[in-house]
Amino acid sequence: MGNLLQLFIRFGGFVTFVLVEAFCFFLIVQYNEKQDAIFTHSWGIFSGRILERQQKALDYIGLSDRVDSLTKENAVLQAELANTRVFQMPYRDTQFLVLRDTLRKVDGSDSVIDKTTRPHYEFIAAKVVGNSITSTNNWLMINRGTEDQVKPGMAVVSGLGIVGITRHVDRRFSMVLSVLHRQSRISAALKLKNGELPAGSIVWEGGDPAMVTLRFIPKHFIEFIEIGTPVVTSGLSGMFPKEISIGTVFDKPEADIENPYFLNIKVRLRQDMSSVQDVYVVKNAFATEMDTLQTKTARQ
Amino acid sequence: MVVQVLLFKQVALAGPYFTILLYPLLLLLLPLQAATPYLVLLGFATGMTVDFFYGSLGVHASAGAFSGLIRPGVLGAFAPKGGYSGKEPIFAPAYVGWQTFLSAAALFFGLHIFWYFSVDAFTFVYYGMITLKSALCFGLSMIFVVLYTALFNPKN
Repeated sequence: MGNLLQLFIRFGGFVTFVLVEAFCFFLIVQYNEKQDAIFTHSWGIFSGRILERQQKALDYIGLSDRVDSLTKENAVLQAELANTRVFQMPYRDTQFLVLRDTLRKVDGSDSVIDKTTRPHYEFIAAKVVGNSITSTNNWLMINRGTEDQVKPGMAVVSGLGIVGITRHVDRRFSMVLSVLHRQSRISAALKLKNGELPAGSIVWEGGDPAMVTLRFIPKHFIEFIEIGTPVVTSGLSGMFPKEISIGTVFDKPEADIENPYFLNIKVRLRQDMSSVQDVYVVKNAFATEMDTLQTKTARQ
Repeated sequence: MVVQVLLFKQVALAGPYFTILLYPLLLLLLPLQAATPYLVLLGFATGMTVDFFYGSLGVHASAGAFSGLIRPGVLGAFAPKGGYSGKEPIFAPAYVGWQTFLSAAALFFGLHIFWYFSVDAFTFVYYGMITLKSALCFGLSMIFVVLYTALFNPKN
């Protein structure tokens, strides 16, 4: 208390001055037209700047939320795109145009169109939290798991192209078998200029993490294949939707040494696997159904 | 003293551009021993009184309070060797001599006037205008300070 009093004696004058000046400031602005105008103007500029900064700060703070919402929106759009590819109907054969909401779930209808136009794919946005590209068998870890309805054997894609397939799924995280894994076999197709989609398999033979090999393309396609021909998913595996980008043909195709009726094609990946960040896990609504059917057939 | 406050208001009212400020003299001539908070408040009160007549509520009050704050510093700078002896009740020519008094008054008025016009302009955009007005006012005011002090030769 004594110290406080001493402090006041020493700085009392200044404290009084500050208080009095603050009061004067108030009076000046309140009762003088000219100063009031200047004050209002300056305050307008000042508060405008403050507001702008505040907004910027808030924007920055809310950035992750916005990115999240954007990736979610992306997932929805990706799913829509993938679904429309499934739903493409041979309208050329018909005499009329059918207008319908392709995304509406119409179970219980017997119409061919209704059966094929059921939503097929759902995209779950995820972030890559672990990634390797240097070993012979590479894995990624993503921050989605059983809680987010991720199951083993789901396709993982990025905005640019394919990434891998989920293998081990935990509650919150999943391990993704990277495209750059010796065991990875992804059904892929060449997108030829004449509209044909000859299907083969994408494998990785190690080494360059930007290169994969497209195998099992019948050799009579050799004349249609140019450097730069796009390679996309075939949509035949049941995991990857149709026509998700993989990369482009990098080199002239060669005959497969093990099986000379087929071609070996070097493909440059579109998604740089070293910098993959935002990915989507593709949930196929009919995965179980298709799997069961397949295993049934395999047993025979 | 209070009568003088009333008088210089009339003087200053005469010219809108050639402002003459004499009331800081009142603050300057306050007892030497006065404490700073007291000076600040008194400066504020004096300024407010002036403001009421000028219709510029707060501007003179602000300058007055500022003068109250700087007075001990200014007077301290012009204190005789060994400080004020206590024999001088106020800072007047009769006690400290004309030279010391005028130098201190010049500094005191200069600071006061500059502060006054800065607050009056309320922005530092018109830097030149503030300085010009301050210089004019300073010259005129100092003449009146000398006249007043010589005429009345205040003793307490």
